[in-house]
Amino acid sequence: MREAVLQTTKLCKRYKNFAALDHVDLTVYRGDIYGLIGRNGAGKTTIMKIATGLASPSEGTYALFGKTGAEADKQKTRIGCLIENPAFFGNLTAYENLRYYCYQKGITDLKQIDEALDLVQLTDVKNKKFRKFSLGMKQRLGIAFAMLDNPDLVILDEPINGLDPIGINELRSTFLRLNQERGITLIISSHILTELYAVANRFLFIDKGRVLAEITKEELDLACSRCLVIKTDNTRQTATVLEDQLHITDYKVIDSGEIRVYEETVKPDELNKVLIQNGVNISGIFESGVSLEDYFKQLIEEEAQ
Amino acid sequence: MINMIKADLYRMLKSKGMWFFWGALILTYLVTLVYKQAGGINLGGPSLDSSAYKMDIQMVAHNFTYYYLFIIPAFCIITADFSAKTIKNTITSAISRKQYFITKFSFTELFHVAVFLLGNLLFYLVNRLVNGTDYASSFSTFFQPVLLQLPLIIGFTALFILLAFVLNKASLFNSITIIAPLLYATISLVLYGIEGTKDFAEKILLKYELNYMLQLLATDCTAKYRNTCLLVGAGLTILSFLLGYLWFTRHELD
Repeated sequence: MREAVLQTTKLCKRYKNFAALDHVDLTVYRGDIYGLIGRNGAGKTTIMKIATGLASPSEGTYALFGKTGAEADKQKTRIGCLIENPAFFGNLTAYENLRYYCYQKGITDLKQIDEALDLVQLTDVKNKKFRKFSLGMKQRLGIAFAMLDNPDLVILDEPINGLDPIGINELRSTFLRLNQERGITLIISSHILTELYAVANRFLFIDKGRVLAEITKEELDLACSRCLVIKTDNTRQTATVLEDQLHITDYKVIDSGEIRVYEETVKPDELNKVLIQNGVNISGIFESGVSLEDYFKQLIEEEAQ
Repeated sequence: MINMIKADLYRMLKSKGMWFFWGALILTYLVTLVYKQAGGINLGGPSLDSSAYKMDIQMVAHNFTYYYLFIIPAFCIITADFSAKTIKNTITSAISRKQYFITKFSFTELFHVAVFLLGNLLFYLVNRLVNGTDYASSFSTFFQPVLLQLPLIIGFTALFILLAFVLNKASLFNSITIIAPLLYATISLVLYGIEGTKDFAEKILLKYELNYMLQLLATDCTAKYRNTCLLVGAGLTILSFLLGYLWFTRHELD
């Protein structure tokens, strides 16, 4: 069984009358690149703040590396994170800022600073003061800070904010490399779905503090891929016809009234004809296939209903 | 704890503010040494005539540096972290909030006490060397009032640490700590002018005003007054520590 690096149970966070998190259950496993997807104010940062000890939950619990309460606090040394905007001392250079945190974390191997700066392509400007950095450079330094001391879990809040397209591409490769080569688990939040889709293998969709869906990349692909949707009152009979008469195996029973067929060669009119001939009561057949954005919108609409 | 102190020392040595602070401290002492006049600053309380004492004791009684000695350590060690929002980097990955508060509290106190003692020691040595015994007392005579002032110095530093944690922002902290003595003096004098509160202002507010206490402790005071000042220092230290700890460990960070 895979080790849960972060697990929350019925996690709630309330600010007076506003519920920032509403009974959030999530599990991040070791080796995951876990994408937190949601609109601004959805609760992504709040989850990260609670996991890193910046905020405390109003209700519910969370476990870090299987530990809860005060024991979870001790696991924080295994975390590297960048929450909200990168914050460093403006009068210190990039190198000095990381040196400061090396002292703080008791890191004696100072080569780690150069490695971290190299990782985010900041080696050339390591002696430049932080206050003179552009937004993108600040963001990269924040990521370098998160990578110091080879953490087991890296939590990054909107890490691609302010980066140019080439920078985003490089960072994406860096995340994948760190995950594959060093086995680092990453939790990354973003409201840019396509960027998260390119790196993450599991996703949490969240809106207004409520979890809309927690799915794997395969499930997301399935949900978004082109398919024929059959609306029927008898999915069992429909499935039998699909297999026996049309020899279709790539289909999925979504619920008691819906089946989705993913085989691209199947035509809707032909399918309709065969199903009717076999006495299946069909209320509709239509093509579907949604973009990530549409899928997210669909989840929000379903939640609203 | 040691790691955090090392990190803070590293950062402070890189900051111009710290060198400016030491520069101002030395300059203040130099002015006194060169002009052979203790000078001094009154933060709002009554002034004592200490002309009967040698210059070094007068300097201890009216020390110019006390004014910013209370502000600078808390500002450099605590509010700098809040203003740059770097506190979240520390809390999220290095240590817990409890450890953070205890470390910052201890380091600020230690730093202030070290500067206070070192500053006075340097002044004593240079004054004795340059101006001779006409202006300098014996070592024990000089250091006795310095040590008597120490509990109050620790107590008021603790109060400033509490303010730094509660106010967070550097600008707010500076504004309030700079204006506080003037506000205290104004309120004391207003209450002194009102018949019904005159006694309270005279016997409590003015008698136990920081500047006045430091002057009396350095020059001449009764054992009872000395003990009360000691209690004020100890009370402020304990109360500020407890309130600051409770506030910081329960307060949500932005």
